[in-house]
Amino acid sequence: MKTGSLDRLRSRITSIDAMPTIPVILRPLLRCLDQPAEQIDVGRIVELVSYDKSIAAQCVRMANSALFGRAQPVESVRTAVMNLGIWRVRDLLFSNSLSQVIPANRWIVDPVVFWRHSLGCALVCRKFAEIIGYADTEKAYLAGLLHDIGILVNSMVVPVEFRATVEKASREQIPLDEAEFATLGFTHSDSGRVLGEAWKIPHDLVQAIELHHDIGDPGRGGPLVALVHLSDLLCRLRNLGYGYYEPRQVDFANEPGWLYLVMQFPNLADLDLARFTFTLDEYAKEVGELVATVFAS
Amino acid sequence: MPNNSTVMASEQLPVEGLTDPVWVRIRDLIYQVSGIYQAENKFYLLVSRCHVRMKAVGARTPREYLDFLMARPNRDAEMRNLLNEITIGETCLFRSMPQIEALRKVVIPSLAEAKKKLSFTKLRFWSAGCSTGEEPYTLAMILLEETQTTLKGWTFEVIATDLNDRSIAKAQEGIYNDYAVRYVPPDFMRKYFTQSGSGFRVSDTVRPYVTFTRLNMLDDSKMLFMRGIDAIFCCNVLIYFDGKSKTRTVQHFYNALLSNGYFFLGQSESLYGISEKFRLVHFPGATAYWKAAESIQKTGAA
Repeated sequence: MKTGSLDRLRSRITSIDAMPTIPVILRPLLRCLDQPAEQIDVGRIVELVSYDKSIAAQCVRMANSALFGRAQPVESVRTAVMNLGIWRVRDLLFSNSLSQVIPANRWIVDPVVFWRHSLGCALVCRKFAEIIGYADTEKAYLAGLLHDIGILVNSMVVPVEFRATVEKASREQIPLDEAEFATLGFTHSDSGRVLGEAWKIPHDLVQAIELHHDIGDPGRGGPLVALVHLSDLLCRLRNLGYGYYEPRQVDFANEPGWLYLVMQFPNLADLDLARFTFTLDEYAKEVGELVATVFAS
Repeated sequence: MPNNSTVMASEQLPVEGLTDPVWVRIRDLIYQVSGIYQAENKFYLLVSRCHVRMKAVGARTPREYLDFLMARPNRDAEMRNLLNEITIGETCLFRSMPQIEALRKVVIPSLAEAKKKLSFTKLRFWSAGCSTGEEPYTLAMILLEETQTTLKGWTFEVIATDLNDRSIAKAQEGIYNDYAVRYVPPDFMRKYFTQSGSGFRVSDTVRPYVTFTRLNMLDDSKMLFMRGIDAIFCCNVLIYFDGKSKTRTVQHFYNALLSNGYFFLGQSESLYGISEKFRLVHFPGATAYWKAAESIQKTGAA
């Protein structure tokens, strides 16, 4: 970002009413999930789901979908939550609450494409974290999910310019952040950082949002930034991208983020990356189902 | 080797019991032996193909079939039969669009740029295990198209090799049924095919660019002569080789490639554990192995 631009961007974003507000459900949900899996309070999750009738209906619909192939129809929210599993319900809650951050008519990028990419990145990031032995896999998930929230800011704050930017990126088949920098002088990583700070989300998540495209010295942001950077790249290369073709060749094993992670987690060097890549097509299906459920309502 | 064929009826049917963990074990065994990976979203395909083989060998359950697949003396022959089932119908023109897009938008421009610096204006591709010619003709059509833009003023050749004389004879005929051309984009159909009876004949503008030759990839003395290649395509062939033959053949491919050259396998095939000289590179929706200039310096390979 150009020198001094961050302050200008911050004041521009915070001085107008268009700033996206944090979804009501997000903080209690984060609190609820911020503990070991076995200690998560299922009752509390059911309660959160029940707050919002449309989310509750989605849970029931998804539990009854062909993906789960139940013999008996699921009717109660509690049974739906139990059948879907905490993590799938969590995916549904997050994507629902975040998709309400901006009004439906203010989206510049296709919301289905946006959520497919964000959820895909979240799942890949968590899987990556599990494989290398990064302890906080749920934080990795969240970082993946939230990494592009700057796109929501740009859609709200500079809609006309941002629409032109998205069209430029798609037309010229260049990365979105490159097009943003050329036309806006800042990227969604910068505006995402400002929103993250305004929402008071943890500092390491804000860093992952800010540095996911340009990780610079990988040691600065630590493993979380490198994980998000690589997961974002992988998703964009495996049908979970921004919805347009980005002609590029990526040699992951020589990416700075990869080299940094290998130093921190030596078992990454043994990862069968080709096989890992093939499994991403499985995520694409799961993510597709989930996003279809959210947007079918 | 896989042959062009009609889609099996069983592929269209819903297959029950996809969640049986034995399918995962069969999938992992296939990957371990052949390098072909069946993602979970394509399990229905794996299961339906296994059911064909289960019926043939009289296995009543996936577990029984796994035991059969692992037990001597039938395991090698049965794995080959299963791989034939899995790859059936994959031989067609323009089979993998992500691979073709990668070729047109990344690989060819990158090769052209690197070669231009050395004042070379010729590209040489090799379709190894070309079966009945679908792949080399596809490559020639793509390259011909690129001579209108990126490769203006360039020449190229596609060397196509296969072990099987009958396949080569069929390839030289260059006539395909509508199933084999189902993925060919309409503008390519118009430009590069003519109707021939009930089939489609590859046009004479394409044919001179493709040279068909019989070649046994396990014949070291013949493989040594393959040199100066910019990109190799070897789809669903190495899966039939044992570990040692695979390593040896991949080394030959490595030596045959020029620096910065590319090696493409089938869409879900991997070289993991076979060669560490190549670098796995990703393109949108496709992967390939790349002979990077630095690794040539390190290893001193040709």
